[in-house]
Amino acid sequence: MTTTLPGRPTLSQNLSAALAEAQLRFTNISRYPGQLLTNIVIPIVFAAMPILLGRATGGASAEANFAANTGSGNFVGYLLIGSCVFQFVSSTFFLVANWLRFEQETGTLEAVYLTPTSSATLLGGVVLYSTVRSLLPALIAYVVGCLVFGLNPLDGNLALALVFIAAGLIPLAGMSMLFGAVVLRVKEANALLNLMQWVVSFLMGIFFPVAVMPPLLQFVAWLFPPTWMTNGVRSALLGVGYFFGAWYLDLAVLWVFMFLAPLLGWWVFRRTEQGIQRNEGVGQF
Amino acid sequence: MLGQVTVEALTKTYLTRQRQGLFKSTEKAVPALRGVSLEIRPGELFGLLGPNGAGKTTLIKCLTTLLLPTGGRAWINGHELTQADNAIRATTGCMLMGERGLYWKLTARENLVFFGALYHLDPAARRRRADELIEQLGLGEIADRAVESYSSGQRMKLAFAKALINDAPLLILDEPTNTLDVPSARELRAVVRDLNQQGKTVIYTTHIMAEAETLCDRVAIVDHGEVLALGTVPELKASLRREAVVKVEGVISTKATHAVEQLPGVSNVATTLNGHTTLTVVSQETHAALLPRLIETLTAHQAVIQKIAPEEPTLEDVFIARTGRTLADDTRVK
Ligand SMILES: Nc1ncnc2c1ncn2[C@@H]1O[C@H](COP(=O)(O)OP(=O)(O)OP(=O)(O)O)[C@@H](O)[C@H]1O
Ligand SMILES: [Mg+2]
Repeated sequence: MTTTLPGRPTLSQNLSAALAEAQLRFTNISRYPGQLLTNIVIPIVFAAMPILLGRATGGASAEANFAANTGSGNFVGYLLIGSCVFQFVSSTFFLVANWLRFEQETGTLEAVYLTPTSSATLLGGVVLYSTVRSLLPALIAYVVGCLVFGLNPLDGNLALALVFIAAGLIPLAGMSMLFGAVVLRVKEANALLNLMQWVVSFLMGIFFPVAVMPPLLQFVAWLFPPTWMTNGVRSALLGVGYFFGAWYLDLAVLWVFMFLAPLLGWWVFRRTEQGIQRNEGVGQF
Repeated sequence: MLGQVTVEALTKTYLTRQRQGLFKSTEKAVPALRGVSLEIRPGELFGLLGPNGAGKTTLIKCLTTLLLPTGGRAWINGHELTQADNAIRATTGCMLMGERGLYWKLTARENLVFFGALYHLDPAARRRRADELIEQLGLGEIADRAVESYSSGQRMKLAFAKALINDAPLLILDEPTNTLDVPSARELRAVVRDLNQQGKTVIYTTHIMAEAETLCDRVAIVDHGEVLALGTVPELKASLRREAVVKVEGVISTKATHAVEQLPGVSNVATTLNGHTTLTVVSQETHAALLPRLIETLTAHQAVIQKIAPEEPTLEDVFIARTGRTLADDTRVK
């Protein structure tokens, strides 16, 4: 007779639970169909503003001016990429916080904490959902945006751009946990989210090269993984130039973040979780 | 042998911030459990009876690993609390926050299948178990509609079904009949009794005396985070056997009430006000000795007696005898 210790799940049970969490999120979002459309339209509109401003103010020498600062004269592609990557970065960055806040408010956070599925497994499912959920609209927005502004979406090294996105995703998920830990503790998301949205977009250089920032800010921006991701994608697609000169060096930096950020994120998240269990529990909202 | 649930001197103190203006706040300790000890036997239907704020939910949250107790120890289904929390969660079914804790945009079936996955049932077993529960609780007609379209009672039923998804040997229910109408509550209690007869150990929390009295094998009366009395319902009543309880309804002034309190043998007088006054008088003397003196004192103080009757003791009387308050009183620590 074989006995399994209850509550010690096998790998496949964990995977199955993570998939169920991802599936739940998809089912849930499918009941709010307007959101997907918004996610596709917003980055295009967001990029259109500086693009039109550039056309209005830059005049005949706009592209040359832009090339002098960024290494590429294609400011339309540059801004569109910034806007689409930002869409992806911001939804990944806030995914843990949004998930926790949603579950806190509906009371389901306590319900899932009652089950033997660990929060690590649940987070896995949520990250899976969020990746697909934010990557897909960002890609569609990029393609549609290119067509709207008269660019060829297939120009540049698309595969390498995707590698940068994939490598950037993991440190992002780690940072997302850090931010999630804050929400778990303070039980508030909106005000923080609004503030962080601006900080993130500014640091990662959504509409401008990091090189034009003051030195101190530049230093902070370089410690921020999405900066490397945005620049990597722009270099792969437009050839703006890698920070360290070669794609593999920039990618190596992302790899370092890839190990550090999730470890730090998970450590802080667990500590916060335990602190809350010691006091009021996750049921408060 | 160890019980299904053994609790030893469990304490829990919440720390809260007390606001004192815009920027100032001080830390305040709220003791919610002050040394609770219990032993619940396998197969028992065990009641936790106590007024609002007694600490029932806090105890349940500690036993289900949601909260870390401040002190004391506990064993649940043979696993020590904080040592094998996952095993405790896997072997316990819990209904905690009523209709909250469900995904309102999803259907009943989707909710049950999802929670089945979190309890590590394989995909076929999840669906089978969800079907069974939908059938058993008569949720068939609404099972494929979004939960947001349910009535409050239907949501409670689904929350109850969710607690059964992992078919655990221990079922913990925190006021499961809250917001249910009388027939639905009766129906739910019948299901609980069935499950108990099939061998499940049940912890049933309530602030309704009659519910504990009709349903539970043994009852712990909890107040201010302490177990005041524990035993079978007849045992608890027998502990009052030598006390007489008389209920008086009418127009009774405070002065008259004070006079009753001074009567020889009277150990407790609880008052409820709802239009007129109801006194519950507990006395060490027999009914025969108490009744004439009671009527005499009340009429001497111009009370109008509309109804007076000696009472068979109820669990509420046990509570009153121990605390001087009725179960309806709010005892939350302010
Ligand atoms: N998160 C918290 N922070 C501070 N105090 C709390 C917290 N949760 C509960 N309390 C306090 O602990 C005490 C016990 O509360 P608990 O919810 O366990 O009571 P209960 O018996 O379940 O009551 P009810 O019948 O109202 O559900 C109360 O005084 C309550 O105010
Ligand atoms: Mg409660």
